[in-house]
Amino acid sequence: MIITQFVILGAALFALGVYGVLSRRNAVLVLLSVELMLAAVNINLVAFDAFVADRIAGGQIFALFIIAVAAAEVGIGLAIVLLIFRNRRSANVDELDLLKL
Amino acid sequence: MLDQYFGDYITVAAFIAVGALLVGGGMFASSLLRPDKPTKVKSETYECGIDPVGGGWSQSHIRYYIFALLFLIFDVEAVFIFPWAVRIEDFAAAGLGGFIFVEMVIFIVILLLGLVYAIRKGVLRWE
Amino acid sequence: MIDYHALAPELLLAGTVLAVLTVDLLRVEKYWVAVVGLFGLFLSFIPVLTLGFCDTLTFCEDTGTRFLFGESYAVDSFSLVLKALFLGSAFVAVLLSVGYLESDRFWQGEFYFLMLSSVLGAVVMASSRDLVTIFVALELVTGPTFLMAGWRKGDPRSNEAMLKFFIIGVLSAALLLFGMSLVYGTTGELTFAGIRAEAAGIRGGDLEALFTVGVLFTLLGFAFKVSAVPFHFWTPDTYEGSPTPVTAYLSVVSKTAGFVGLLAICYLAFRDATFLWGPALWVLAAASMTVGNLAALRQTNIVRLLGYSSIAQGGFILVPFGAAVAAGVTDVQLEEAFFATVTYLLIYAFMNLGAFAVIIAGGNRLRSAEIGDWAGMFGYAPGLATMLAVFFFSLAGIPPLAGWFAKFVMFRAVLSVGGGWAAALAIIAAVNSVIAFVYYAKVVKSAFMDPAPEHVAVADLARMPTVPSLQFALVLTVAGVIVLGIFPGIIAEIGELTKTFASGF
Repeated sequence: MIITQFVILGAALFALGVYGVLSRRNAVLVLLSVELMLAAVNINLVAFDAFVADRIAGGQIFALFIIAVAAAEVGIGLAIVLLIFRNRRSANVDELDLLKL
Repeated sequence: MLDQYFGDYITVAAFIAVGALLVGGGMFASSLLRPDKPTKVKSETYECGIDPVGGGWSQSHIRYYIFALLFLIFDVEAVFIFPWAVRIEDFAAAGLGGFIFVEMVIFIVILLLGLVYAIRKGVLRWE
Repeated sequence: MIDYHALAPELLLAGTVLAVLTVDLLRVEKYWVAVVGLFGLFLSFIPVLTLGFCDTLTFCEDTGTRFLFGESYAVDSFSLVLKALFLGSAFVAVLLSVGYLESDRFWQGEFYFLMLSSVLGAVVMASSRDLVTIFVALELVTGPTFLMAGWRKGDPRSNEAMLKFFIIGVLSAALLLFGMSLVYGTTGELTFAGIRAEAAGIRGGDLEALFTVGVLFTLLGFAFKVSAVPFHFWTPDTYEGSPTPVTAYLSVVSKTAGFVGLLAICYLAFRDATFLWGPALWVLAAASMTVGNLAALRQTNIVRLLGYSSIAQGGFILVPFGAAVAAGVTDVQLEEAFFATVTYLLIYAFMNLGAFAVIIAGGNRLRSAEIGDWAGMFGYAPGLATMLAVFFFSLAGIPPLAGWFAKFVMFRAVLSVGGGWAAALAIIAAVNSVIAFVYYAKVVKSAFMDPAPEHVAVADLARMPTVPSLQFALVLTVAGVIVLGIFPGIIAEIGELTKTFASGF
């Protein structure tokens, strides 16, 4: 089995996610970028699982846990964005600068 | 090995090409045959036949969000039930069926407790 | 079958979490939620003790280290000591929260539910011996704390603290996972023992580069969690914006959980890769101490000051890790370094929780966290001012308070390794101890010697009582700091127990 293309896809998706987190100003889009990074990890894990022919399918189980945790994180994240939007009428990350050095 | 691997993709490419040709060709042929009379009504958003209300980018109400969130969480928790369902027969054969069954009952009871909590706190009330 | 005795602390705590949620639904006074939570924490402490003293109990079959679920979950002396630490710290953190939540219209039921869930994560973390368990434990520790950080819903500062913490938190989780996925891919193993066995064959092979990247990303994820410089940016903001009891919880339980994960991963999974994590953590330790202390020097807000101080303390905790930088570090030296880290974590929990208890008690009276307003506290609240001095001098490492022993074993561990790099780190740590003393002493001096500012109504403040739960927390932590400082043998003995962990199992 060839593993390279999966790893490259995973790395590219991960890099895209990092770029999104750093460049996007809207909190919801930052959240989406993080999801992209987690998806990249899932691709990696499942590909590696098949590659090393894991007897107990550890990589796939790990991916399932990541999916569940990611859902919980999105739930928390959206609740936070919603709360901030209610208080400030904006979901812009740059405008949050009350706490400074 | 690599050649064979990418060789498989030629089939995929051929499929895409044929698909695009069929759809594109059909639309091109029909544009030659049909009469062309654009009116305002024709370009409106189709909303099950009745007149559309508001723009296509209207904001949805906040209460959908809570339901979406609850759905998302319960939906994802179901992912843990699938591997359990696949493997339970092996465990039953080993005499551990009851134990594994009770484990899943506990898991679901915990999830249900969350649902009861949401109901008690009134987030599922639609008014 | 499953060894239920070994799992009892986790099961009881999980039961408590559900009980707290149920009590919150009943129409009873909300402080019952806290009572149930405290009772549950106490209850789950009992099996930790019975497991710890298994060899002296008749009903308990002593099997040494107990492994559960393959090799994924281990109950050994290290995990039991850390579980006791987490449960104890959480007990104090709940005590700190009671008065704070009662004083204002906060949602109480959910708060304790979230805090106990997070503690459950920390307790599981102490026993995790594979990548999946450690990741789930870490997320269980962190997830609820995002919400707790923003508990003052109407306050934009609290909102901001929450969002910053959340974004950094999920980003670090993603980095950690990417690293873990590469480690899994190169070794094909998820358990620490398996990774250690496979990692030996990777050195010098095709996969070495990928494995290195995996290890570094994993460390990076934990570095965010323990707020090591340069991954510390969220810490001061989140600490300042969160409710103070939550800050206390974050700086002790959540941070210690991060260190425990780092300990387990470094000393078990990457044990033979000290040449990878040693230098990385050397840099993090040096940077955390220096940046944390220098920034703390110019803070005017006392919570922010403690935020930077906890970054610096995190640096001190990382020093023994960083000492492993020297090539050919022996097992005995690694054990010494491990012992130093665990000892520091145990003492740090006491003194930092105590410092935050004082700040909450003082904040209740003054309604201000500005250091200037704390001047002259000795005049109207001598007990509180004295305890402030005790905790701050302990954090600075002045004998006979517990902090000195933590610093002492830290230096001993570094110097036992020897060599240029370790010596350099020891010198950086020594210089930083002096810098730290300056700002801790400045606050104490101001509280004892300076006159109270004009706008502080001294007569009213002198009459204000401290909430009983807070008094209890203060007594516990003060007793801990003083007793452990005078009799460091107690903590050394506990630390000795955990050494078996570092020697590998």
